[in-house]
Formats: sequence, structure tokens, C-alpha cells
Amino acid sequence: MDRALFAAASGMAAQQRSLETIADNLANAGVVGFKGSAQTFAELVAPGEGGLGTVALGPRVVFAQGKLARSAGPFDLAIDGPGFFAVLDAQGRRRYTRDGSFSRAADGTLRNAQDLRLEGVRIPSDALAVTVGAGGSVRATFPGATRTIGRIRLSEFAAPERLRSLGGALFEATPEAGKRREIVAGANEGPQLRFGMLEESNVTVVDAMMQILAAQRAYEANAKGVQAADEMLRIANNLQRG
Amino acid sequence: MDGIAWAASAMVASRTRLEIATENLANVSTDGYARVAARGFLTALGAAVARDRTRAHGALRETGRDLDFAIVGDGAFRVRDAAGRIATTRAGAFVRTAGGELRDAFGRTLLGRQGALRFPPGARIDAGGRVWANGRVADALAMSQDARLQSGFLEGAGVDAIAEMVDVLSAERSFESAEKVVSAIDGTRQRSAEAGRVK
Repeated sequence: MDRALFAAASGMAAQQRSLETIADNLANAGVVGFKGSAQTFAELVAPGEGGLGTVALGPRVVFAQGKLARSAGPFDLAIDGPGFFAVLDAQGRRRYTRDGSFSRAADGTLRNAQDLRLEGVRIPSDALAVTVGAGGSVRATFPGATRTIGRIRLSEFAAPERLRSLGGALFEATPEAGKRREIVAGANEGPQLRFGMLEESNVTVVDAMMQILAAQRAYEANAKGVQAADEMLRIANNLQRG
Repeated sequence: MDGIAWAASAMVASRTRLEIATENLANVSTDGYARVAARGFLTALGAAVARDRTRAHGALRETGRDLDFAIVGDGAFRVRDAAGRIATTRAGAFVRTAGGELRDAFGRTLLGRQGALRFPPGARIDAGGRVWANGRVADALAMSQDARLQSGFLEGAGVDAIAEMVDVLSAERSFESAEKVVSAIDGTRQRSAEAGRVK
């Protein structure tokens, strides 16, 4: 009897964890460059014979491409393909993000909404306009001339799933993710940089809502299993009274 | 064999059926899970229920991740754990390690033709399980002839939640009925015992 109770309860716990992950995804569905997480479940098997239900193995970030959307920002960038923008915080620590909604700061650097500075570019104060090519080369128009003023390099990791999430679309390197490789965008089969576009979150509200419904129903079904197991115990306990 | 033992065996069998149904329900979100069927049979000692692992395949869902693989048809991925034990699984969500191996959710290494599957960054896997890198086949998964591999998809659990719910309820009712039989026989015996008592 305990096994049925335990299995049903493990199902409830797993669906609860799943709901937490989906809620987090949903909360970030509007965040540029956000990558949703998925909860992975595994069957729990007793060493002897038979299963004991399920166990949630923890969420993992799904690095699937988000939709690219045209945007209005003059320095907006999107990565089409794998890779990250390397950005530096105020303490000079390197962080990684796919949020390319940069704007030009007073010192000529490109910074995102969290005031993180994009590595590799500084725009001279007399530049009139700036464009970024698919390969990351930054070209600025000056009165009477156009010059290349820098190149945006992307960072890639062998195991991006092992990066530590810092919330939102921001990540930090870890030894498990492997060594950072700097890559130049625009090569064959490699990532391309899209200027004037932003990568939307790869979570869509409709998908997340559907997942919530499915998780809720699965939670309820498992709750019914708990009830049934409990009811059997009650009947068994009443046997003695005849 | 007496009636109480028969009815009690039916109670135990219903309980086992409930265990199996709740186990299947609990795994309704477990990728690559194949449902366990409850197979009832009669023995000299009464009713019994055996666990029977089916090969029920779940529905595929698109994830868009290049390291999510689903097997269409029979077959399984061969994986090796840290202790060197080889197992099979149909849960196809793999992540790359810094060393370039593909690992499943338990941290087991996906195996190819020889040892860990070689899957260089940027490689693609085709429907036959062959890994293509730079226009050449770098490695391949052991796949049966009629199976097909679909990358960017995961196979959900082969569990029909409604069918399992019905099983939960019917197991509960069978348990109740069997209990009524036990109680009835017990009541009859009690009355005979009382009738036989010398007042």
C-alpha cells in the first residue's frame, strides 16, 4: 500500500517542481534573450523489482534559438545560432548573455539594460551612425568617412547547459561548461550577428500556458492516486470490525 | 482452499494493480517512459497480478534543441554510467560535457560505434543515427533497421493518464468488493461460532 501512496505522492511532487519551472519561464517570457528551462523526470526504480514513482532531476536550460524580431534600438543585436555576447560588469567580471539590446553610454561603450558593457567596442564621440555586419565588424560613419572601429566577438562553450544562470538572460562561466572559445560570427554554418534585431525569449506564453494546464491535470490525477491508496488503507483497517 | 484466503488474494491483487497504475501516473511526464501493464492471472493460491513492462511509445514533442533525440520505432540509446555499466534508455535529452561527450540526465555517456559517441560541435545527426561533421560520418548510433531518429524532438511518456485513472478507480472498487466478501465470510463464521456456543 505504501508503494502506491509513495508513487502517487512522488508524482504530485514532480508536477509541483514542473509548475515552478514553468512559472519561472512564464515570468521571463518577455525578457530579450531569455532561455527557458525544462524539468527532467526519471523513473524511480527499486533495486529489487518494481518502480517507486518518479523523481525530478532538476531543471536544465534549453538553449533553443528564440525568434528574431526587428527592433527600433540603434544598437540592437541578435545572435542567429549558438554563442553569447561577452559583457563586463562594473567590477570587470565577465558575464555571458544573448540579450543584445545595447545602448550607447556617455563613454562610448555599448551597455545593456543591466549596465553591463559589451566587450570589444567603443564608439568615438564624433561617430554619426554605427552599423554591425553579420561577422561582427563594427563600422562607424564619420563626417566624410566610414571606418571599421572594432569587432564584436562571440563566446562559445562546449557545454552551455553547465553555465550558471544569474537570472534573466545572464550567465556565468563554470569549469564544467568548458573553456570559453572566442568565435567570429559570419562564418559558414556558424552563428550570424543580426543588426537591428533582437532575439525574443524562447518561451512562448501559449506554450507555457499549455504546459501549466498539463502539469495541473497530472497533479490532480496523482492526487486521486493518493486518495485511492488512502481509501484502500481505510477499508483494510475497517476489516476487523466486521 | 478457504474463501477468506481467495478473497484476500483478490485484495492483494487489487492493491498491486493500484501500485502499478499510480506508478504509471507518476511518470506521466517522464520522457521515454514505457508504461507497466498489470497482467492478472490465477494461481493455486488465488488471484495474482504481474508487472509487465510494455513497449508503449510516447508522443513526440518538438523542443528545437539539437541534442534532443527521439527514436521513432523500437530501439533504445545505449548509455554507460561512471562505473562502466551499460544500460539502455529512450529518454533522449542529452547535454554535451566540456570534454565533448554527450550525457543523459543521469550523467551517463551516450555510446556510439565504439565507446562514447563522437559528436563534434556543429555536427548533425540524421534519421539513421549517423553523426555528420564536415561532410563526413564521424560516428553512428546503433539503430535497428526500421527505427528512425528525430533530432530536435523528445519522446514523452507512453502513458495515457485517463486509462490509468480508470485503473486507479477500478482497482479501488475491486479492493472494496473483495473486502466485502472477506467481511461476509467472516460474518458467517462468526454466526456459526455463536450458534455453536453452549448458552
